Amino acid sequence: MAVHRNCQGMTRRDSLQLGLAALGCGGLVDLLRLSGQAAQEAGEGTRKPVNCILIWMDGGPTHFETFDPKPEAPLEIRGEFEAIETRLPSVHFSEHMPRLAGIADKLAIVRSVCHNQGNHGAGNHYMMTGAPPRIPVGCGAFVSFHPSLGSVAAYERGAPRGLPGYFSMPSMSRSGGPNFLGAKYAPFVVSDDPNRDNFRVRDVALPEGLTDDRFIGRRDLRGMVDRLPRIDDRAAGDPVHALDEYYRQGYDLVTSVRAQKAFDIQSEPDSVREAYGRNPFGQRALLARRLVEAGVPFVTLYDGGWDHHSDIFGGLRKRLPRFESTIASLILDLDERGLLDTTLVVALGEFGRTPKISTLSGQSKPGRDHWANAMSILFAGGGTPGGQVVGATDRSGYAAVERMLSPENFVSTVYQKLGIDPGKIYHTPQGRPVHLVSDPTPIAELMG
Amino acid sequence: MPRHLVSWLGLLAAALWCAGLVRAESPDTRPPVGDADPLDGTPRFELDVLPILTAAGCNAGACHGKARGQNGFALSLLGFDPDFDYAAIVKDARGRRLFPAAPDNSLLLRKAAARVPHGGGRRLPPDSPHYATLGAWIVAGMPRNRPDDPELVRIELSPSQRVMTQGDEEQLAVTACYSDGSTRDVTALADFQSSEAAIAAVGREGRVAAGELPGQATIMARYMGQIATWDTAIPLPHPVDRAVYDSLPRHNFIDELVWRKLAQMGVTPSEPAADSTFLRRVYLDAIGRLPTPGEVRAWLADADPQKRDRLVDALLERDEYADYWANKWADLLRPNPYRVGIKATFSLDEWLRDAFRRNLSYDQFVRRLVTARGSTWRNGAVTLFRDRRGPDEITTSVSQLFLGIRLECAKCHQHPFEVWGQKDFYSLAAYFAQIERKGTGLSPPISGGEEIVFHGGKGTVAHPLTGELLDPRPLFGEARPVEPGEDPREALADWMTSDDNPYFARAAVNRIWAELMGRGLVDPVDDLRATNPPSNPALLAALADEFRRLGYDQKALLRTMMTSYVYGLSSLANERNVADTRSYSRHYRQRLGAEVLLDAICDITQVPETFAAMPPESRAMEIWTHRVGSLFLDAFGRPDENQDPPCERTPDTTVVQTLHMMNAPSLHAKVISDAGRAAALAASDKTPAEIVEELYLLVYARYPAADEAQAAVSVFDERSRREAAEDLLWALLNTPEFIFKD
Repeated sequence: MAVHRNCQGMTRRDSLQLGLAALGCGGLVDLLRLSGQAAQEAGEGTRKPVNCILIWMDGGPTHFETFDPKPEAPLEIRGEFEAIETRLPSVHFSEHMPRLAGIADKLAIVRSVCHNQGNHGAGNHYMMTGAPPRIPVGCGAFVSFHPSLGSVAAYERGAPRGLPGYFSMPSMSRSGGPNFLGAKYAPFVVSDDPNRDNFRVRDVALPEGLTDDRFIGRRDLRGMVDRLPRIDDRAAGDPVHALDEYYRQGYDLVTSVRAQKAFDIQSEPDSVREAYGRNPFGQRALLARRLVEAGVPFVTLYDGGWDHHSDIFGGLRKRLPRFESTIASLILDLDERGLLDTTLVVALGEFGRTPKISTLSGQSKPGRDHWANAMSILFAGGGTPGGQVVGATDRSGYAAVERMLSPENFVSTVYQKLGIDPGKIYHTPQGRPVHLVSDPTPIAELMG
Repeated sequence: MPRHLVSWLGLLAAALWCAGLVRAESPDTRPPVGDADPLDGTPRFELDVLPILTAAGCNAGACHGKARGQNGFALSLLGFDPDFDYAAIVKDARGRRLFPAAPDNSLLLRKAAARVPHGGGRRLPPDSPHYATLGAWIVAGMPRNRPDDPELVRIELSPSQRVMTQGDEEQLAVTACYSDGSTRDVTALADFQSSEAAIAAVGREGRVAAGELPGQATIMARYMGQIATWDTAIPLPHPVDRAVYDSLPRHNFIDELVWRKLAQMGVTPSEPAADSTFLRRVYLDAIGRLPTPGEVRAWLADADPQKRDRLVDALLERDEYADYWANKWADLLRPNPYRVGIKATFSLDEWLRDAFRRNLSYDQFVRRLVTARGSTWRNGAVTLFRDRRGPDEITTSVSQLFLGIRLECAKCHQHPFEVWGQKDFYSLAAYFAQIERKGTGLSPPISGGEEIVFHGGKGTVAHPLTGELLDPRPLFGEARPVEPGEDPREALADWMTSDDNPYFARAAVNRIWAELMGRGLVDPVDDLRATNPPSNPALLAALADEFRRLGYDQKALLRTMMTSYVYGLSSLANERNVADTRSYSRHYRQRLGAEVLLDAICDITQVPETFAAMPPESRAMEIWTHRVGSLFLDAFGRPDENQDPPCERTPDTTVVQTLHMMNAPSLHAKVISDAGRAAALAASDKTPAEIVEELYLLVYARYPAADEAQAAVSVFDERSRREAAEDLLWALLNTPEFIFKD
């Protein structure tokens, strides 16, 4: 019987897992193991489900300085960075992407997604949900008109007991919420920094000195005293239902062996932690791998600060090496563990950036502005055929000209890979039918 | 199109173009404008061309309408600047966009019809009438409106507004009305939008379809900067007998107006809330804290039929009233102390609390903020002008906070859903142009200095595009002129707080109503516009009238609201109001705010919180900056001072909150503290039944029902007195009956 410890060093509370304090520990572990096996057996014969790690480069990453360099373009377009060769003949990445260039055979780069929502609020919404905002929204807006990828994944796929189906670290992305699917499918946000030695997911462990038995006793007591009538009809919008749901999730998290184990990043060997990068983003990527390993269908790694209106070259010189190294390590680690086939890694933001470099008034260093006519998206794993580039922009990177693809195509691809039919129709609590994706056509080249 | 036909058309076009030039040079020969059609048959840029480009989305914010255009071709957003657009189309890029000799070969049309690669795809099929109009306009020599051509003055929606039934359809028509009295049907070129698509959807062609759900919706039509709205209501099927509404109690005008609305919608109200529910609700709403067990006992035992009204009066006179209500304004006005300095932040906090302690009338409250002058260390209201420095920065916040008008859009371009444009915005900003400062400016992250704000006597605001110097001008209505040597802000304050300003009182009463009732009559509360109408316009207007009549006395207004019958309704739904979330047929539950919740936990457990930068035993409600660290307050949400105000608190619940309530070490410590409530109750000579009763009164403000008491008492059989009291306390605190205002 393996004894594992959570981050605070307390013994596991698998007895809480099923709420059966009276049962002996050995019996419970066996029960858990059996149920795990049963779940695996049930899945055999069919394809293993694909989970997704979505790296959200908030602000809109430049396509020029990442996956779509234009070395032939005039200086004011090609910028300060060189293009470098990749493992694929005649495919170039920008110079600060050496490690990803070295594993280009495992990647599929889509260069031709474009849309018409050139501000952050709207672009976030379109790419994160596949639906353009219903009404014009502003740049600073955090809007939700439609469920996000992660919320749909949590809704459709669920997660092993005790784990939320959708994590977002260290914060939720602007339009990453559940909308009409309801609070149950909001992301579980882990804001704590896993790079810190004392990392623990706040309040998930019982307070020191409180025994498991007493916790169970309190929980039963709570059930007894809770008499506030709920309004069952969903149209009433009774906010108490959300609280109920979060108490359920809270109990599950506290009592889940699986969750405590997944959070225990300290159990990773130093070499692995180093490979991901000893920085908050790197360790979050490692935590993301542990979560998908534990069966979580969707993890968003939110990475802010890609809105390079100024000092794009100085900023990216500092940022890109660490960033791309983490992603390369994540992909290689998943591959070595045999998880890459069942884990889709995607990296993108809300749009690309303007071809022409400009210096905004009040700024001294040049940058690129918002540009929804072209953007690049990285795909790896989840059965995506590697070593390919899909679509192209024109020779100056102004617009997607070959294989023009839409945000709808992008989200449909992710849904299809997760085993979710992008053509399905949901009904809102008001009974209104809503297409999950208005154009449910995935990007065929990526489907394998 | 066959080649010879194209060239023939080209010739004709060239001929017509020359004719157009000739005609343009001799304006006297222009044909008279007819009565029925404002045009002489020739398409005009403003009247005909811009509407087509707008309807086709060319000048949308995501395309050529964005600030720097798209691929070198920039248009003004939604066609609000015809001069700019005319130059962009006809003259810029050496005129290469139009080819009058062969209009079909004009880049404008080739792009629009996607005959050459166009990022926006095909916007105008070559066989469409709109394409033909553009062609005819090019052929005619690209005429603009002439000075005496009719101008668009408004649009109208027909037929008249009406009640619809489930599944009903209605075709709307948009009529453009011109300055010469002529009209045109522009339905095909208008944009439509529904405020509640699930209740009544509207298609591109202006066809409204009522869905299966009862409710109300507003359809907006937009055509060339003009907006018209069309309200509809879809009542519940099977009407309710009028007598039902006639027999409902009416404590004051609020009840009458809510019942009228419910009668229209076929919705019936819930029962009145139980006394204990009302008691807890009114304590939380008036003073942001729970009644003590002694207060609960005494009030529930009181047999006076007027006791609800008396309770409201008594609570509004309590000291906590000022802290609780000042905090709501602090949420909206409080700056980041790292930016403006600790002392300036503190003095604003003090100013706000003082205003509510003295029950400063709301018009005076706003006037003193808007016209604040003096030292940031002595007059807290001045801090507003230390935080917001430019006239434009101040303008957006003043108009949104005190008038409920969101002007951010108009800072950079015409507001797409409203009548406000840049000229309106900067003319309003001109009222703040003469603010001057001396002393120590901002020097983050300490910014500790004192700054004096005063009327400098000079300073102007220019239109950012035209450079025109703008005189102070209100957004609407008339303002008195600024006297020589006077601070223009005085004239602004007169206009803002004038009884004739319909927005001022409405924005205020809507905010206060939303605090009590869980949702504003206009929602969001600071977005008053024709295209976001109130759910009950008559009630909003009546509340605003009442507020004016009361001399903007906030306590008196709260009293009116809290003593209405509607305020005291139960949250529990009946069959006919379960889906009502806007008409106040039942009380809408609200999660307690972060400070209220934390203070309540401290009161109940008898273990106070310790806050940095605050004296011992301080309450969360007394904190003067959101920078005071607290995991609890962060988990339950407080405004982010770095965000442009007004930054709202989110009322949502999250798993972070439930985990915190269950497991946070600090809350655990309060429950099990030797100096805390549970320990004291356990050590007392009270019986288990008495302990249970005390805990129910503390946490729920009610007595336990007999079966509840019995079950809770049995907890003492299984555990030690101390553990039983602690566990019961923990359990009660972790239920929605504690966390929500019911």
